[in-house]
Amino acid sequence: MKFEEIKRILSNAAERRGLTEYEIYYQIDESISAETLKDEISAFSSGVGGGVCFRCIVNGKMGYASGERMTEEALEEMVEQAISNAACIDSEDEVFLFGGSPSYTKLPAREIALNDAATVRDTALRLQKALYAESEHVTDGTQSCAISLISEIAISNSHGLSLQNRVGMSGAYVNPIVTDGKESQESFEFDEGVSYDELKKLPEKAVQKALEKLGAETVSSGKYDVILDGTQFRQFLATFSPVFSAKQAQHGLSLLAGKEGEVIASPCVTVVDDPMREGACMQTPFDGEGVATARRNVIENGVLKTLLYDLSTAKKAGVASTGNGQKAGYSAPIAIAPYHFSICPGEADDETLFSTLGNGLYVTQCKGFHSSANAVTGDFSIECAGFLIRDGKKSGAIKGFTVAGNFFDLLKQIEAVGNELKWSIPTSFTVFGSPNVLIRNLSVAGK
Amino acid sequence: MISKSVAESVLACAMSGGADFVELFGEITRNNSIFMIDGKIDRVNDTLISGVGIRAFLGTRTVFASTTDTSREGLMKCARAVAVAMGEVKQDISITLRDRMLPNLHPALIVPTGTDAAYRADILRAGCFAAKEYDDAISQVTGSLAGVDRRIWIANSDGLFTTDRHVRTRLGVSAVASAAGVNQSGSSSPGAGMGLEFFDRINPEDVGREASRQATVNLRADYCPAGNMTVAIENGFGGVIFHEACGHSLEATSVSIGASQMAGKLGETIANPKVTAIDDGTIPSAWGSVNIDDEGTPTRRNVLIENGILKNYLIDRLGSRRTGMPMTGSGRRQSYTFEATSRMTNTFIDNGTDRNEDIIASIENGLYCRKMGGGSVNPLTGEFNFAVTEGYLVKNGKICEPVRGACLIGTGSEILRNIDMVGQNLETAQGMCGSSSGSVPTDVGQPLIRVSTITVGGR
Repeated sequence: MKFEEIKRILSNAAERRGLTEYEIYYQIDESISAETLKDEISAFSSGVGGGVCFRCIVNGKMGYASGERMTEEALEEMVEQAISNAACIDSEDEVFLFGGSPSYTKLPAREIALNDAATVRDTALRLQKALYAESEHVTDGTQSCAISLISEIAISNSHGLSLQNRVGMSGAYVNPIVTDGKESQESFEFDEGVSYDELKKLPEKAVQKALEKLGAETVSSGKYDVILDGTQFRQFLATFSPVFSAKQAQHGLSLLAGKEGEVIASPCVTVVDDPMREGACMQTPFDGEGVATARRNVIENGVLKTLLYDLSTAKKAGVASTGNGQKAGYSAPIAIAPYHFSICPGEADDETLFSTLGNGLYVTQCKGFHSSANAVTGDFSIECAGFLIRDGKKSGAIKGFTVAGNFFDLLKQIEAVGNELKWSIPTSFTVFGSPNVLIRNLSVAGK
Repeated sequence: MISKSVAESVLACAMSGGADFVELFGEITRNNSIFMIDGKIDRVNDTLISGVGIRAFLGTRTVFASTTDTSREGLMKCARAVAVAMGEVKQDISITLRDRMLPNLHPALIVPTGTDAAYRADILRAGCFAAKEYDDAISQVTGSLAGVDRRIWIANSDGLFTTDRHVRTRLGVSAVASAAGVNQSGSSSPGAGMGLEFFDRINPEDVGREASRQATVNLRADYCPAGNMTVAIENGFGGVIFHEACGHSLEATSVSIGASQMAGKLGETIANPKVTAIDDGTIPSAWGSVNIDDEGTPTRRNVLIENGILKNYLIDRLGSRRTGMPMTGSGRRQSYTFEATSRMTNTFIDNGTDRNEDIIASIENGLYCRKMGGGSVNPLTGEFNFAVTEGYLVKNGKICEPVRGACLIGTGSEILRNIDMVGQNLETAQGMCGSSSGSVPTDVGQPLIRVSTITVGGR
């Protein structure tokens, strides 16, 4: 069923029930992927999914319902459910449906299309072949996967809002397993690109990273100066990004509540949120409530400039929405989240950063954020691997140790920021990025 | 959702590209959830998941397609996509499906999605209000009550036509205790494979009070010291140690391609002889139980490790083709948009023979982990981590002051040998396990155990 038809049925159902404030959010996703094992395509998959979310304001309360079944009966039921869900809410926060921003950034015209099956298969096969060719230590279990996906989003409401956006991404990941006969190690690398030619640097990089991990030793417990690789520090940003949410702050769940205008990080730290980052695949001119998005500094030279707001939290704080009321999928409620959220690169290249550090640890792998880091308290204790740094040079591989601390202290402990920004794989419209950062005196538990 | 005759046509069409086996998985799942914050119901949501996934095999090659369009035309389109992707071979197959119904071991008396939201909101309020009232230091309480009613239809080219309906309910309460610019948190989130009659079995107020108890303990805790220690891990969610250190490495997904530390080790001693570990998807109304897996195979009790010896893996249909071993009722998926892979159900270390008081008394200088959070593992290397959410130092065989902010890390093969005492108070706890086929409900569990040495990630 097409969006226009869904909209017609839902609008009729809403108006028949006397609703005057309602909104329809529609998302359709298409994806295709090919995965290899040994020298053949082991799995090929394609999907068409998505759904619609209906929300409405009844007696000042917002009710939600959503679904994937696009029959007249199911859509009627969705409206009923949203109405009855609204009746159950007792939060006194003011809720809004939005009529539209005065203007929205125009996205540059570009073709966004799903990659064709033949290219996806070919890319996966050639990446896999290149992985095996890279080193005799590459062994079975090694996998390559090429993917392509597109999403279309449309929002329409009773205030006349009508917005549409289409985004897409093609890329591949490789997961080589290497062995030296005694031990096995692996790496995981992802990059965006439509064809093998755009991705052909992946295999060498990935195999190199896996080989470097062989023969790792454990460090002794103690205090160390540490360089956190940008691919890892961005995980800290991702894990602790809820502390920048005005909703969390207003409910006492962020220790940054009331700190706008205060110094919360060292002077070399500037954090920017950019919904329209140039060249990025997930650009969006409006958020899940239809508010225009904009690039802004969240931390500027160590000072917290703003939290991130949606319409409801902005009203409560007496400010304007920052356009960060996102929906992580059609059925998700509006929740505050950043877009391309990153630490701005500094001046130091790796050589300078390493020699500034002198002796310490270079952490290139962190795991366990979902359980061993807590945005409410700021505490973290994370499983790590990486390399020793001796006399300013990258040295032997290390693993099986933890780094522990508190995120709010960590922001103040950053002494230097590298000059190369490293971006993560997008999750919905959210992407995190960071250069390498140098942090003194972190607690490490090892042997 | 899908009639037998439509399923027969769809399967035949999907198979026409040369597959040697095809399977159709249909799903209609109703999710509802209520969230509470600041003592107010903040959000109520209903979502209807509805669609079909069609998968074809040729040897160990697979082709999969999914769609939300469950009309006959939509299904045939999806089936043709599968056939085309499988290959050029044209085969004319006719499939005759036979009904199979198994007894329902996990009935639901009050299906949450069929109840008034106001009724469910009262249950959530009881939990959250009890948490807030527990202590003056509790500054915020958030809570959720979630209900899932999942109906599935499975048909395959072996002639199987079956259906199942699975209901689950979970209450989660998180509490924050604050003092002098410091926040500490605690949470409790029990669930079961049953309807709202779950709350005849547990009291929502106890759930709230448990969350606040942990938060207040952590507020007066100092940071945990770092280094290698002897650790006692309590029952319930403590079982996450087995889930991460070993369970994932026994899944055919990694074992069958050689990407697991446990590949090729059947019959070998991989753990201390005191360790017997079981994956049992048949425990009545347990959180991780289902009558059949998402490939239609009845779940069963799989002894994975018996007295330290590796006895079995967790095997789905593709894993069975790759390893030549029988399926173990372990093929699971979050929804129709994922391909089923080998997953855990209710996985636990069985009761041992050590007395719990002897375990604590045996530790001269170490850590007692009363509550654990989640974790993760790399099945290839067996390197795992998991969080300690409530811990205490143990000195001279006595539990002493609380400590916070630690995780435990190690390598599965080492830790399994280091579990040198196993107590007698087996209990399970509920979690959501994430892997390549999405997020599925699983129970973890164990009695109190002692790990002779493990790295404690403190400061």
